[in-house]
Amino acid sequence: MRKLAPLISAVLVGLSVGAALAANLTITQKGRMFSSESVSVKKGEMLTFLNDDSVPHNILSTSKGNEFDLGSLPPGASTDVTFKEAGDVLVICAIHPRMKMVVTVTE
Amino acid sequence: MPASKFGRSMQTGSLVAAALFTTLSFVNISFGAALVGETRRTELPSKTAANLDALKAQYRRPASIPFPKENPYTPQKMLLGKKLYFDTRLSVTSAQSCASCHNPGFGWGDGLAVGVGHGMAKLGRHSPTVVNAAWGAIFMWDGRLANLEEQALGPIQSPGEMNMPIEQLMTRLVSIAEYKPLFAEAFPGEDMSAKTLAKAIATYERTVVSERAPFDDWIEGNEQAISEDAKRGFALFNGKAQCSSCHEGWNFTNDGFQDIGLPSEDVGRGKFLAVLKMQHAFKTPGLREITRRSPYMHDGSLATLEQVVEHYDSGGVERRSRSDLMKPLGLAPQEKADLVAFLKTLTSNLDPTGVPVLPR
Repeated sequence: MRKLAPLISAVLVGLSVGAALAANLTITQKGRMFSSESVSVKKGEMLTFLNDDSVPHNILSTSKGNEFDLGSLPPGASTDVTFKEAGDVLVICAIHPRMKMVVTVTE
Repeated sequence: MPASKFGRSMQTGSLVAAALFTTLSFVNISFGAALVGETRRTELPSKTAANLDALKAQYRRPASIPFPKENPYTPQKMLLGKKLYFDTRLSVTSAQSCASCHNPGFGWGDGLAVGVGHGMAKLGRHSPTVVNAAWGAIFMWDGRLANLEEQALGPIQSPGEMNMPIEQLMTRLVSIAEYKPLFAEAFPGEDMSAKTLAKAIATYERTVVSERAPFDDWIEGNEQAISEDAKRGFALFNGKAQCSSCHEGWNFTNDGFQDIGLPSEDVGRGKFLAVLKMQHAFKTPGLREITRRSPYMHDGSLATLEQVVEHYDSGGVERRSRSDLMKPLGLAPQEKADLVAFLKTLTSNLDPTGVPVLPR
C-alpha cells in the first residue's frame, strides 16, 4: 500500500501549483462528483486529479495495467496520474460510491 | 407506508461506468501500474458560510421515488413484492421473512444490536433499515451488492440468514397456487424466476419511504415545527460537529464508506476494496426515523443517540484507516444535547403498515 502521508506533509508546508496544472487535463471533485464521466487521454499522458471539494476523497483504479491509489487526500490536494496501458480505465472514489468515471487511454 | 404520496419517476443518467463498476468489488489492488506524481497543495477559493435558507434548501424532500429503468414501478409488482416481503416461506425453515429483520414496527429494522439468522444464531452486524432504500447507491454495510434487486436475493440465500437455495425457493413458490397469477400479472410473459422475485421485492422496498417529520415542516417554513434546541442542533450538524460531511441531503447520507473509529475487528468494506481507508469502513446510514432504530452503528454497540454523539465527540479509536474527518470535536454539554434534539426531529409519525394476506 502506498504511503502518501510524508508526501502530503511536504506539500502542506508550502509547495504550490503553478502553471503546471493548466497544461494538463484536470478532473475536479466538487460536490462528491467527478467533473467528467469520461475523458480520453493518450498513453503516457497525465491526468490531474484535484480535490476541490469540502471533504477528503480517495481516488483509485483497479483496472488492469493502470492500477493506482491516491489514498485519502484532503481538500486542496492535487495529483498527476500517468496511464501506461491502452484501454478503458474505471476510476472511482473508494469513499463515495457515486463517484465513477472512465478514462479511455488510447495508443 | 403510503408511497402514493410520492410520484414515481424513472432513474435517469446511468453512468458510463456502471457495468465496469460491478466487476470491481472483489478485486484486490496491486499498485504501481499507473504512474502517480507528487501530491501538491492547491489554494481553493475560501468557502463562504452558506446562509440558512441555502442550507435548508439542501434538505428538501424529493417529489418522487426513483425507480430504475430496468425495473420500473407497477402496482402489480409492488403488491406481489409486498406479499413476498412478508412471507416466511422465503426462508428454508418457513420461519423468517424479510420483515423478520426489517420490521416496520422497528423503523424497518429489528430493534436488536445484531440480526438473528438461521437457527436463531446471532449475525455479525446490525440489521439496517430499508427506509428510503430507493435512493441507495450501493447496498449492505460493506457495499458488496450493487443494487436493491441483488440485495433482495442476498439474505434469502445466505446460509447464516434465511438459508434458502434459490432453486428450492422457486420450486416452493410455484407449488403455492395463488402465487402464479400474481407473478403473471406483475410480469406478463415471464416465468416465475429469481429475477422476477427480486424485481418484485425491490419494487416494494422502494415504496418504503420515511414520512414527513417535524424537520420537514421546518424546512418548508414552519418555524414552530421544531424547538430552538433542535435548530441550534441543525447548525451544529452542518458546522462544528461536521455530521453533514457524510450524513448529507434529505435522507442524511451520501452512501459513503468511513472508518469512524468504533473498536470493532470487522474490516467491513476493506474485505472488498483492499485499500487502507476502507479497512473498518462501513456505509454511512441515513438518519430518517432514527429514534425508532436503536441500538445504533453497524455493530449495534451504542444504545442511545446520546452515546452516538459522545462517540463522535471523542473521535473514536485512532488507527491509520480511521477517516480523516474523525477527530475530537470539543462539544459542550449543551451542544451535544442540541444535536440529539435535532436528530429527534427526523422521526415521523408513521402510519401503521398493513400485513398482507398471503397466497396459499
